[in-house]
Parts: sequence; C-alpha cells; structure tokens
Amino acid sequence: MGDVKLAFVVQRPQYKGETSRLAITHAIAYQTVEILLEDGDTVTPTLCFIGEGVLGLQKGQKAMDTYGITSTETHLKNALLVDLDVLVCKEDLEKYGIPEDSIPDAEEMGADKTIRVVPFSEIQKAIEDAKHVLFF
Amino acid sequence: MKLGVFVSDYTITVDTLDRLKAEKLGIILVANGVYHATIKENGKTSPLLDKTPNLYVLSEDLQTRGIAESDVDKRVKVVNYGDVVDLIFNEYEKTAWL
Repeated sequence: MGDVKLAFVVQRPQYKGETSRLAITHAIAYQTVEILLEDGDTVTPTLCFIGEGVLGLQKGQKAMDTYGITSTETHLKNALLVDLDVLVCKEDLEKYGIPEDSIPDAEEMGADKTIRVVPFSEIQKAIEDAKHVLFF
Repeated sequence: MKLGVFVSDYTITVDTLDRLKAEKLGIILVANGVYHATIKENGKTSPLLDKTPNLYVLSEDLQTRGIAESDVDKRVKVVNYGDVVDLIFNEYEKTAWL
C-alpha cells in the first residue's frame, strides 16, 4: 500500500455545525490508524482551510468559557503537536481581511510544526496528490 | 410589526431579508452570523449592516471565536445573553431565524 495521502478540506466556518470540527479530529486520528497498518505502510493527512473555512481560526478563542467545548484553536494546536500539515489559503485570508499573524501556533506546547499560510495553488496540489479527498 | 431577525450563518441570502416586511427591523447576529459584524469581504462590510440601524451582536459568540469587540463595526451594538432576552421580550413582537 505504501504511503496513502489524505486531504481534509474545510470550507465552512467553525462552531455552528460539527462538520468542520470533525475534519480536524479525523485528521488527528491518523495516528491511531497506523497501528492497523502493515509495516512500511503509512497514512499522511493534510488539513486544508479554504473559503469560509478560514473564518474561526483566530487566536484567543474562548469556546471552553462560553460553550464548555474545546475550541478550534486548541484542536489546531493538537494537530500541530502530532505533526500534521495544516495549510490555510492565503487568498481567502486576504479576501476576508484576516491578518496572517492572527493565526495561532503551538510553540508554547513544544510543537515544531506551524500552520502554513499558502497560495491556493499549493492546497490544490495537496488535493491532487491525495488518494482520498474529504470536504467538510 | 416589530420583527427581530436572528442571523446565525455568515453565508446568507440578503434577498430573504428584503422580503421580510417590518415597521421596525432588528438584526441580531449570533453564532457564525457574528462575522457580518467583523469581516470586510474584499474590503467591503456586510450588506446586512445596511438593512437597518438596529443591529446587535452577541458578545459570547465573539469571544468564542477569538474576536475582539474593537473589531466590531461601529453600527453594531455588542450585547450579552441577558440583553438578547430583553430584546425579544421588550423590543420585538415577532422573531425569525435565518
């Protein structure tokens, strides 16, 4: 089987529905899948945020205080901690006037990975390279 | 009729709002509707904000999303849950959810 690439593409804003959150938790779950694979087989997910999916990625979310649920920000930090590739569409951030420095990182938690703001062409390549593409 | 309309999504058909006739229209932005009060898509504020001077946004839903009150358009009043209850009971005869 070799390496199977997955692309999780979030195109809806966070919180109102469960679907965009599920994209992050499903992508994180790739680590548990690996125990079921044969030696040498791997799964490599990429988490992509495009369109309205780029809304709701800001730092300082208080979802635990207001809704009693884990925030998208925390989920993203957990994704970075497990070395997930997280891509955010640069053109869509610009479209909505969201500054790149409002996107969180997980440096304080010891993550080496950071969320990468990239042109849509790079996200398109991740989609084209993936065997399975899941839109949320 | 005094109509209070809750908007809970960012994507919305403004046409629907245009069809709702009210002598007094209030728009209460909640959940992902709060982005209407804060996002300038392609540099332009949401057309929703031009529909009425009675605009409200729920502070708890701003905080959830990490949005500062200072980012809210000046035309929109920031309210809490208690204020929303007061709006429903005191200001509007009927409410609708879009």
